[in-house]
Amino acid sequence: MADTKITRRAFVGGSLAAGSLAFLAACGQKGAPAGGGSAAGGAAAGGTLNYYISNPVCIDPYNVQETQGTQVCLQLFDALTTYDAEKEELKGLAAESWEANDDATEFTFHLVKGAKFHNGDPVDAESFKRAWTRVVNPKSAVATAYAPSEVSYHLSVIEGYDALSKGDTDEFTGVTAKDDTTLVVKLSAPYADFAFIASHPALSPVPEAAESDAKAYYLAPIGNGPFKMDGSWEDGQQINLVRNEDYYGEKAKLDGIHFAIFKDVETAYKEFQAGNLDVTDVPVAQIDAAKSERGESKDGYTMAEGQHMLLGGEPSTYYLTLNNAAEPFNNPDLRKGVSYAINRAAICETLFKGTRTPADGIIPPGIEGYTEGAWEFAAYDVDKANEYLDKVAPMKDGSRGISLTLSYNQDGGHKEIMESIIGDLAKVGVDVSSDTPEWGALLDQYADGNYEFGRLGWVADYPIMDNFLYPLFHTDSIGGDNKSQYSNPEVDQLITEARSTVDAQERVKKMKEADAKIAADCPIIPIMFYTHVIAGSDRVKHLYIDPQQHAWLGTAELSA
Amino acid sequence: MGRYILKRVLQFIPVFLGVTLILFALQNIVPGDPIQLIGGEKALPPETELQLRVKYNLVKADENGDAVLDDNGDPIPTSTWERYTTYMGNLLKGDLGSSYQRKLPVTEIFAQKYPYTIKLALCAIVLEAIVGIGAGIISAVKRYSFWDILVTLSTSVLVAVPAFWLGMLLQLVFGVMLKVMPISGAGSASSPYQDWMHYILPAITLASVSTAYAARIMRSQLLDVMNQDYIRTAKAKGLSNRAIIWKHALKNALIPVVTYIGVDFGAMLSGAILTETVFNWPGIGYEIYRAISSRDWPIVMGGVTLVVLVVMIVNLLVDVSYAFLDPRIRFDRSSKSN
Repeated sequence: MADTKITRRAFVGGSLAAGSLAFLAACGQKGAPAGGGSAAGGAAAGGTLNYYISNPVCIDPYNVQETQGTQVCLQLFDALTTYDAEKEELKGLAAESWEANDDATEFTFHLVKGAKFHNGDPVDAESFKRAWTRVVNPKSAVATAYAPSEVSYHLSVIEGYDALSKGDTDEFTGVTAKDDTTLVVKLSAPYADFAFIASHPALSPVPEAAESDAKAYYLAPIGNGPFKMDGSWEDGQQINLVRNEDYYGEKAKLDGIHFAIFKDVETAYKEFQAGNLDVTDVPVAQIDAAKSERGESKDGYTMAEGQHMLLGGEPSTYYLTLNNAAEPFNNPDLRKGVSYAINRAAICETLFKGTRTPADGIIPPGIEGYTEGAWEFAAYDVDKANEYLDKVAPMKDGSRGISLTLSYNQDGGHKEIMESIIGDLAKVGVDVSSDTPEWGALLDQYADGNYEFGRLGWVADYPIMDNFLYPLFHTDSIGGDNKSQYSNPEVDQLITEARSTVDAQERVKKMKEADAKIAADCPIIPIMFYTHVIAGSDRVKHLYIDPQQHAWLGTAELSA
Repeated sequence: MGRYILKRVLQFIPVFLGVTLILFALQNIVPGDPIQLIGGEKALPPETELQLRVKYNLVKADENGDAVLDDNGDPIPTSTWERYTTYMGNLLKGDLGSSYQRKLPVTEIFAQKYPYTIKLALCAIVLEAIVGIGAGIISAVKRYSFWDILVTLSTSVLVAVPAFWLGMLLQLVFGVMLKVMPISGAGSASSPYQDWMHYILPAITLASVSTAYAARIMRSQLLDVMNQDYIRTAKAKGLSNRAIIWKHALKNALIPVVTYIGVDFGAMLSGAILTETVFNWPGIGYEIYRAISSRDWPIVMGGVTLVVLVVMIVNLLVDVSYAFLDPRIRFDRSSKSN
């Protein structure tokens, strides 16, 4: 009796609950997505592009560093120059033109006239000096409010850097605002590629507000770029930008950009599949499906109708660092033998489904001076591997008695890559054991030289050979990024000469000579070059994402 | 009651100092230099590295904020004890330091994130209380019926299913396949759903295991109470089943459930790391998880400080609530009724 009563009540209650849920679900849909937000939004001309990023470290130019912060900063700011990878040339952005003196120690930039910041302040030479000073000065308002910049090294070639970075002075003596539109930069040593450094978003100009209200500026920077902030950076959630109607250059076609922040690519891809994102990275497991669903872009960098999957190469190299300063890798024959033994193509095909390419040197394609097959030893050849390894220790009963320790962090998919390498080395009689500290501890080991060989990656700040060869192989970089502790006076000399060579072709030639000498010593083992793995929704009519992963959103278009 | 609360608050102090001191000591044991981690694969310039160490009180500094160097020209690291006392001193001023990675003050980060954790915890706890207690009552009242078996079975399944897996399954079914629920986040311009819709799946995920436990505790407690003499007396007096359950049995059976739900609420307020991570929820649970993996110690320390305080306060409130549920429980020594 009671059962029947409760059951009936449960039935009625359940029906009501289900009905309410359906009603709530219907109410839960937004009538019109904010700014044409959803993929089904049917945006009018312009529209808002929904772009996935993970949480940036910083979007204020003073400390902008990784891909995410750079992506936002590039839309808000125009630096002096920009590298057009399609045309393979450096061109002016906030600067109309520039020239260097004969020994590449002084650069004069002529700024575009009439350019304004988003708050109406003029973009003048002083605004560049102000910006660069606050990057280097550890006592600037922003450095005091937050922390000293971690990217001041971009400006280390400028005269007066040392005194300013130590806090001995407030004046950046090497930077002079000659007049409103002329910026003169004196370098402490020749550096003919300085105009490339000037393309980095950390070197963007800032208005006075950056210093007078450093805290507000940190979360909502006022720039001079095609887009401006709409509200502040909501940490871990979103950053919204709208078109800058007073932009001095060609105005953006998009109404705005919604940078949706997700913790990882898997979550972002689910959102993309649900139609809530227009541009996302693709997890490795989804690459094949995404390729066939989205359609591959012809050049690997441009999205267009039916071509929404980008797989173009990036100027970044994954490599094994070898401790050249200690046994056993102070033996060049061992370095070369090990390098020959690694089947790079198998790693790229099996673990990355062909979305990475085997490295044939430290310089990736797309960098001026890249030469196919530049490093003789960065190739897979078991016979040659055995030939070199025989010089180190001949094979006896399937083993050479060589025991090596490979150090790596296991997260981020590195474990699988390293296991493949260990397997390859076992085939040529080299026993490798794994040393798998956490990333932080591994960095300690590298810094102390307390390792035999380990994995690393290098992402170029600027697309030039110098940005690979100087930090990774110059003697002055030991204790910094030259973790293999490689030192070759001839290489140092060639890099120094290249830096003072104003003629671009001549400079690249010298850099290639340096690269060839490094290649002959094989101080590290290049494994693979990174590529884009980026998908776009059908809403995206045109979007160019250059090899450095910089999205040119000022020229992007959505379908009507 | 007042004296009891004061005593409990005083007991907080050694617990709080102990937990924070242990964590400070652990920072030294865990390998990995947090300042080197900031640079990652690209090494920081030495002068920047030193300035950051000064900023984060990892090396000794003079009154101008410059590092104090030893005879060899090397900076002198601060000891764990020095860092701890400085931290506690700053804590009293409401300063929890700044994030190593994002440079933002920890208090600012938590002020932004904590409301999301609280709102999600409230949704989950309401769900847990209503569904858990409701299912437990039905299950006990209708013992061995279809409903009882259903509750027993489903609670067994829910207890066994890990929260992160359930979360991912819900995302896949309702977000990706059926497209009726948002997948992640707490609502934004790109979400086609109202902000409140974003709470549903994370709240269900967060509440799932505890709801099952609450239902089980409720069931066994109510069954236990229903066998008491006074319930038999009530039945003999001719009271209806409903009156017996609502007026006499439930209040007594609720005490262990309230304890459980209260403690659970404290845990939820400490940030549900798994649920927040799966749903990209902008709360402190995910923030602490991220901070641990990147050795962002100021956030970890700030998080633990906050969690210890919240858990202690919630536990105190739970204890105090007993007095209201059971008049026999009194906390004042002067009270003779206990």
